[in-house]
Amino acid sequence: MKSFAGIVVLILGLSSYAATVEEKIYILSDSMTCVDNTTFPYRTFNDFNAFSQNNPILQLNQDDSLSLWVVNFDSIDHNFQIEDYASTFETIPAGDSVLVGYKFVNAGGYIYHDPLNAPTNQYLGLAGMIIVKDHSHDSFYWNIKEHDSTWNDNLLHNVAVDWTTYEPDFFTINGNSNPDINADPLARIVGNVGDTLILYMSNTGNSVHSMHLHGYHATILYSSKSALEVGREKDTFPIHPMQSLVLRIVPDKEGEYPVHDHNLVAVTGNNLYANGMFMTMLISP
Amino acid sequence: MSFQFRHIVLGMLFLASFARAQVTTNLLYSKMDFFAQHELYDGNVIRLMGYTELIGTPIDLPSPVLIYNEGDSVDLGMHNFSQAAHHTIHLHGLDVDQATDGVPHLSFSIPHDSVGHYQFIAPHAGTYLYHCHVVSTLHVQAGMYGLLIVRPPDGGNTTWDGGYAFDSENAWLFSEIDTNWHQNDIINDPYVPGSTVEILDYVPQYFMINGKTETQLSNPETSIEGSVNDAIYMRLANIGNYGNRVIFPASLNAQLIDSDGRPLPSAINTDTVELYPGERYGVLLSPDTEFTGNVDVEYINMNTQLVESTQEAPVTISGFNTINQWEVEQEMIVYPNPTQNDLNVVFNGLKDYNGTLKIMDVNGKTVLVNNENLNENSTLSLNTASLDKGVYFIQYLSSYDNLLKKFVRQ
Repeated sequence: MKSFAGIVVLILGLSSYAATVEEKIYILSDSMTCVDNTTFPYRTFNDFNAFSQNNPILQLNQDDSLSLWVVNFDSIDHNFQIEDYASTFETIPAGDSVLVGYKFVNAGGYIYHDPLNAPTNQYLGLAGMIIVKDHSHDSFYWNIKEHDSTWNDNLLHNVAVDWTTYEPDFFTINGNSNPDINADPLARIVGNVGDTLILYMSNTGNSVHSMHLHGYHATILYSSKSALEVGREKDTFPIHPMQSLVLRIVPDKEGEYPVHDHNLVAVTGNNLYANGMFMTMLISP
Repeated sequence: MSFQFRHIVLGMLFLASFARAQVTTNLLYSKMDFFAQHELYDGNVIRLMGYTELIGTPIDLPSPVLIYNEGDSVDLGMHNFSQAAHHTIHLHGLDVDQATDGVPHLSFSIPHDSVGHYQFIAPHAGTYLYHCHVVSTLHVQAGMYGLLIVRPPDGGNTTWDGGYAFDSENAWLFSEIDTNWHQNDIINDPYVPGSTVEILDYVPQYFMINGKTETQLSNPETSIEGSVNDAIYMRLANIGNYGNRVIFPASLNAQLIDSDGRPLPSAINTDTVELYPGERYGVLLSPDTEFTGNVDVEYINMNTQLVESTQEAPVTISGFNTINQWEVEQEMIVYPNPTQNDLNVVFNGLKDYNGTLKIMDVNGKTVLVNNENLNENSTLSLNTASLDKGVYFIQYLSSYDNLLKKFVRQ
């Protein structure tokens, strides 16, 4: 059901003009806590000078500019780059900060990250989503990632790992696994029959994930991997490391339907079913 | 036409597929092996879970192919003879209502010696999957999966209503086996609904096409056989936990045309198709030269993106079909073939003379429709002068007849 407030937002959205969005994010080191309380070292960008195991989602409208302070509160140097936007990166010494600016003329999904020692720093958690919108529909956001809990401590201490043996044991969306993903209003798709719902997905991990929707097909609106994918109507969406996808879902019936990685190993967590990438979408009449 | 699926449930549907929107009922049994009886190519024998058409039939990989026509009203029953675990049928990609979706805690599950029913209208023509969604990580690996194919409403040899015409089709379902996941304590676990289940690390040793691997691939189920200028429709599906990269020889002129039960916005010429767990793709092959070789199927580790196995499926493309000969055993005969102008069509023994006779191009587009009345043993002469040179299909479709012939306009 559309509310009056929703109509106001729509009008404002349609009459909006290019703006400069000012944001500030902080690089912090701490640890990730998994669904079974397993913990391991982790680094993220944060909205505040307080650690969160999920990176903030930076949102703009098409043609907006982003003015972003990146503050490095970590004890080591970091870099900053936007995947599929800029080939150059900024270096941020430990304890220092940098102001970066970007203009986004194309709607879609982007990934900001630390490319230093690739893929180590990105793998350790320093990768988040930039959303550039050209609509005012209800939207949902998945930062998809997997973790090998035994590797983070080694990588944090510069102990070499062999990526050809990578075998992650935790699988998260916005830092959560089943059943906690459903409690994340940014991640859980909720709507009504006939709504246009937009889903933004970015894979900030190192594995390929293959996300399957029950109940509905969705249309690919944007793919950072290949323009040939745009317009395809599918129920399963592979997403490669550092790829972003934007989907449009228009539910034709009510129901609560699962959404999960169809690499069924990824619906586990620490070898337990179903503690991985599994959630439900909820569509009301 | 050739049709190379090993299992055909609903064979009666095929025979009756000329009628539209039928009510169809069929029943599967879900079972598990009490002892290892499924032999792999190297002699290793493992236990399976799976679906069978008959209670006494051994479980095989994959489970039977289910075939419906678009618009059919389907009542798919499942009798669970697991002796222990609950099972379901998830209709992967069919977008059925929640109650029919086959996910235990959101739909229903079927306990031992009980029957459940999944009722739905067969949706868009295309390639789909079905599999158990109880502890899906283990039950799918155990063997509880198969292909589900929805044909166009008329059951004809086109990819979808108004889609591409084809002479033959092949369906390849890709998966893997980790034999450690087929041990007795996994296959025969009762899987109490709602409980958390321990899963072993996944290290598959066998990489399969339609349940076959390595030396087993030289058989009709996993081979492509055709003739120059044939249109061969490949249904590709991935139910494993690895990615697949399918590499077609260049002479097959592969075109990617559909995915997940929907046409692509535009066909893509490519000899390499990647599909990941749960995905399906349709590929149209149009060989233009004689060829003997292989299609390579690579199995990609989702975490490392390294290829861990390559399976080779044989391809044999022979010379031109003998389409310039009278095909006296058929009910519709076309001559001369190739033709430069008039194409004569002779019918023998049609059940219904009120159908439609039309000519389609290789993309399934209707380019000519006959307006003359048909009579038994009548001969029609169609003027093809307005057609460009190339390969065409002529189809007669009635409530009881579905005849398709290929001819060449020179």
